[in-house]
Amino acid sequence: MDKTCPILELQDLKVYFGDSKGFFKKKDVVKAVDGISLKIYPGETFGLVGESGCGKSTTGRAIVKINTPTEGKILINGKDITKIKGADLKQFKCDVQMIFQDPYASLNPRMTVGEIIREPMDIHKIYDTVEEREARVRELLELVGLKPDHIRRYPHEFSGGQRQRIGIARTLALNPKFIVCDEPISALDVSIQAQVINLLEEIQDEMGISYLFIAHDLSMVKHISDRIGVMYLGNLVEVGDGDDVYENPMHPYTQALLSAIPIPDPKVAREKQRIVLQGELPSPINPPSGCVFRTRCPKATERCAQDKPELREINGRLVACHLYDKD
Amino acid sequence: MENMLEINHLSTEFTTENGVVKAVRDVSLNVAKGEILGIVGESGSGKSQTMYSVMGLLAGNGRVAEGEIKIDGRDISPKNYSAKEYDKIMSDIRGNDMAMIFQDPMTFLNPVLTIEYQLCEPILNHNDISKAEARDRAIQLMKEVGIPSPRQRIKQYPYQFSGGMRQRIIIAMALACYPKVIIADEPTTALDVTIQAQVLDLIKSLKNDIDSSVVMITHDLGVVANLCDRIAIMYGGKIVEIGTADEIFYEPKHEYTKGLLSCVANPEDKEKKELHPIPGSPPDLLNIGDWCPFVDRCDKAMKICKMKMPPKEEYSETHSCSCWLSHPYAKAQQAKAQEGKED
Repeated sequence: MDKTCPILELQDLKVYFGDSKGFFKKKDVVKAVDGISLKIYPGETFGLVGESGCGKSTTGRAIVKINTPTEGKILINGKDITKIKGADLKQFKCDVQMIFQDPYASLNPRMTVGEIIREPMDIHKIYDTVEEREARVRELLELVGLKPDHIRRYPHEFSGGQRQRIGIARTLALNPKFIVCDEPISALDVSIQAQVINLLEEIQDEMGISYLFIAHDLSMVKHISDRIGVMYLGNLVEVGDGDDVYENPMHPYTQALLSAIPIPDPKVAREKQRIVLQGELPSPINPPSGCVFRTRCPKATERCAQDKPELREINGRLVACHLYDKD
Repeated sequence: MENMLEINHLSTEFTTENGVVKAVRDVSLNVAKGEILGIVGESGSGKSQTMYSVMGLLAGNGRVAEGEIKIDGRDISPKNYSAKEYDKIMSDIRGNDMAMIFQDPMTFLNPVLTIEYQLCEPILNHNDISKAEARDRAIQLMKEVGIPSPRQRIKQYPYQFSGGMRQRIIIAMALACYPKVIIADEPTTALDVTIQAQVLDLIKSLKNDIDSSVVMITHDLGVVANLCDRIAIMYGGKIVEIGTADEIFYEPKHEYTKGLLSCVANPEDKEKKELHPIPGSPPDLLNIGDWCPFVDRCDKAMKICKMKMPPKEEYSETHSCSCWLSHPYAKAQQAKAQEGKED
């Protein structure tokens, strides 16, 4: 893995919703993503985890330009994409693609599978003739484990797992370098989830694509990711090597989150000590002062209410917590 | 131990435009007093419909075709009563002897009624007490399920509660009459992991308090490993394997159970293990034949698997499995094949 030149870099990314510029009305601003910075390298899988409402999907959607960032930069191969236009924008759409969560809602029911997968190639005028594009569609169908003669069928003729494969084939049509996977397996049955995960890994090995893998199923994230970022209320609280983070979580939120995973092994489960967090996620309209996690943190001190901890490197890992301050 | 819920040879069918869907096929189950039984299966395996049949909550086109259901010794099989009698019996039993916790806390509560109204309703229906007493009981229940300042919050509407809190209210409603059997249909699927841990702990501790039996329907093997005493694995409308949690996790017999266990990632594993997905997809219950439902996805399938339904083989008092591979004849054949190889 090339660790020198990141394919994606987020610099202090902020995405706020309901930011009203009106004269009479002052609306509440939802701070969905509140200043996160991270780097993803070529060929790497970065897992982004957190509870619902923590801003992980918004981050993914900002990267593919579905949501507009309020502040901050998104660099793809060193180029800021927040304000690009024209030919640059078109090239960006080829390089960065997204796999959506719900395979039942993300495919147009009135288009055949062939048309769905061909559409991106039609738009970007890849290959000169329709025949060449269809040949490529057949190749892609085979690559994702479907039959080339499925090309004339409609999405409703397929099961959930097969539909997700069609979605993956569509994202691959433009030979992207970076794919945002937004909960790609959470709508699928357990036995089918493993099929899709294995497919994503095979594609990565073959084509060297980087993934941003967003999920709330922590066991699958650990399985697929090289590095993991933990988000809480719009902030990154811990970033590190996947196995390290799971073995030795440093931030109190990561510790609680990981101990809450139900382990599929009765003997381990019986002996496991769980850290059960009290209360629920505070509202992102009015986040707590200082450290955002302090209202539920079992180790919170007075200082946590005043200073917001920065993400700092500790033992080769990035953690945002005052517990690890030297002074 | 005494059985609180007994299901014998239950079959449930749905009449649709395309034909009859056999959602539940010859299912037999017992749940002992104070026990937590997990029913695990993929969507369409019939795990929810089995319990909906027990509760008398099937959709309009569904009916219990065969089988007997008993709760605490009392017969509640639909076939033994007229429709009117059955409705009367069930409205007495539902919410009283037997209660259900549903999957989606966002849609289960009525948005235009207060929590007080919805929580007092089952209490008033099944007990001869005044409204004020019912209200006190409702507040007590909210306290038990861990909702802060219940006196104020009881006057609020569902939209004022978060997902985890709503699920607590649904649990409080299910517990309102101290039921003998609680049926939980994927109670934590819609919740986040930290909230899921809270709710699972709650179900466990409340079960101990009122000493009822719990049937937990889920597709999450992690949840059953943490919570259940016994586990039934369902596939294609049938129970393919049933046993204690340890027997299912450490000595699985059915190929489907083995497949399920090898396609979940365990975060405790130090080394990255390869996931072995089960190829193919679940069977179509519309045209399902009278043979092993797993045959098309099983890599050890034999000729007989597509001819006859496998018999139930018992491994211990609690552990049984329906698979032709465990038949003595198949074992003899395998032994022969092994010998052939060695020679």
